Amino acid sequence: MNHLSSPGLPDGRTEVASEVQSVLGLAQGLATGLALIDPADWTVKAENAAFTRWFPVDPARPGAITERLRGVDLDRVRERLASAPSFAFETEVRRGARSAFLSILVRNVEFGGQTLMLAECQDVTKLRQSEQMMDSYSRMMEKNARELQKQKERVEKLLLNIMPRSVYEELKDFGTTTPRRFDSASVLMLDFVGFSEMAVQADPGTVVAELNDIFTSFDRIVETFGCERIKTIGDAYVAVAGLPEPEGEDTVNLARAALRMRRYLERRNSAHQTAWVARIGIATGTVIGSLVGIQKYVYDIFGPAVNLAARLEHHSQPAEITICADTNDLVRDEFVTRDIGVHDIKGFGRRQIHTLVGELQRTW
Amino acid sequence: MSHTIFERAGGFASVRRIVSAFYDRVLESEMLQGYFVNTDFATLIDHQTKFIASMMGGPASFPDEVIRRAHLGLGITPREFREMADILRDTLLDHGVIASDAEQVHAEVLKREPLIVARAA
Repeated sequence: MNHLSSPGLPDGRTEVASEVQSVLGLAQGLATGLALIDPADWTVKAENAAFTRWFPVDPARPGAITERLRGVDLDRVRERLASAPSFAFETEVRRGARSAFLSILVRNVEFGGQTLMLAECQDVTKLRQSEQMMDSYSRMMEKNARELQKQKERVEKLLLNIMPRSVYEELKDFGTTTPRRFDSASVLMLDFVGFSEMAVQADPGTVVAELNDIFTSFDRIVETFGCERIKTIGDAYVAVAGLPEPEGEDTVNLARAALRMRRYLERRNSAHQTAWVARIGIATGTVIGSLVGIQKYVYDIFGPAVNLAARLEHHSQPAEITICADTNDLVRDEFVTRDIGVHDIKGFGRRQIHTLVGELQRTW
Repeated sequence: MSHTIFERAGGFASVRRIVSAFYDRVLESEMLQGYFVNTDFATLIDHQTKFIASMMGGPASFPDEVIRRAHLGLGITPREFREMADILRDTLLDHGVIASDAEQVHAEVLKREPLIVARAA
C-alpha cells in the first residue's frame, strides 16, 4: 500500500487529502504511528508506516478503520472527543506470538473546514513488560519475605526455649546480654530418688522416654504458674520465679508449681509400673541470671539462692518439698508449712528450714 | 564475590533487561515463536522472570514439577529445547554476564531437559 495516499477517498475531498498527505509524508520514518481518520465514516485519510504495521489493512475493506482497530471502542472515542479536545487510551495488538501495547492519543484536528481525528500511537510494550516483571518480582519477594518471617519465628521459638524473652530481646537488639542480679528470686531444684539405679536396671530407652514425658509435664506446670524452666541436668530439673522480671507473687507461684509437680507424680505413679519419687528444694535469695556461651547459648543462673536450693533438695526426704526461711516467710500466709528445725547446711551454716505441706484450705 | 549468579549479574535491575531481551529473542526465533501464539503476555513475562531468576539462583523457586506440568503435551523437541537454552546463554553473555556464569546457567537449564522435552511415545 502507498502510505502517502488514502485509498477509497470520496472525490470531493481530494484537496484535503493532499494537504494531509504532505503533512504525513514527513512522518513516514517515525516510530510513532500516525493516522488521520474521518469520524463521519471511519475512513482513514492518511497514515504512516508505523500505524499500518500495527493495524494492517483488511484487503476486503481498505478504507474503513473499524475492522483494523478491533478491540477499540471507536464510538466511545468519538463521544469523548465531542466534549474534550483529546482522549487517550491503551490497547494491545497481537501479531503471532508477540503482543504490542500501544498508548493512543486521539485529537480533533481541523483540515479544510473538516474536523478529523489524528491518532498518535506510541509503543509502550517495554514499559508494560517492565511493569509485569516488577509485579512478578515483587510477588517473589513477598513470598520470600513470608518464608523468612516463618523461619525467623521458628528460630525465635527455639531461642525462647533456652532463654527468657527479655534476654532474647536484649540479645537481638544489642548482640550481647549483661548478667543481671535479682535480689529476691526463688529457685526450685528437683531430682529423682534412685534415678541412677533406675537407669541402669531398667531399659535406658524407656527410662529416658518416661523422664522426657515427666519433664514435659513439668514445663507445662511451670509455664502455667508464670515461672521459668532454666535447665535440666540428667534427672535434675531447675526452675525459677522472679526473673527475669519480678511479678510480685513469684515465690507463691513457684510453691504452687512444686505442689502441682508432686501431685502429678503421685497420680502418674498410681497408673504406671515405675514409681518416680522426687525431692524438691526451694530457696529465696540473690540470683545472677546470664547468658553463657557464644556459639551455644545457655541462659543460666548462679548465686547463693541456687546453691541453697540444691542443698535443700539433698536434704529433702523422698516426695518432700524443703524450703528455706526466706521462702517460708513469703508463702506461709497461703500454705501449710512445717518447721523441721535448724540444720547444718553445707556452705550456709546452721539454718532454720521448713517443709511445704500444701495449700491452706480457706473456709470463707 | 557475590553468592549467586543473580547477584553477580547485578540483581533484578540487570536481570530485568535480560528477561526483556530473552523474551524478544524467543519470539523472534522461528523455531520457538509458534509455541507462544496463544500465550497471554502477562503469563509469559511472569514465567520467564521466575524461570530466569531461579536458574540464576535468584529469589525464585521453580519446582521441577511446575516446569514439567507447564510443558506437558506441548511436544517440544530436543532441538527446540536446545535452541531456547542457547538463546538464554547468548542473552546472558550479551548482557555482560561472565562466561562461566552463563555456562552454569546453561547447564542448569539443560538439566531440566527431561521435564520439558516431550518423550517419544
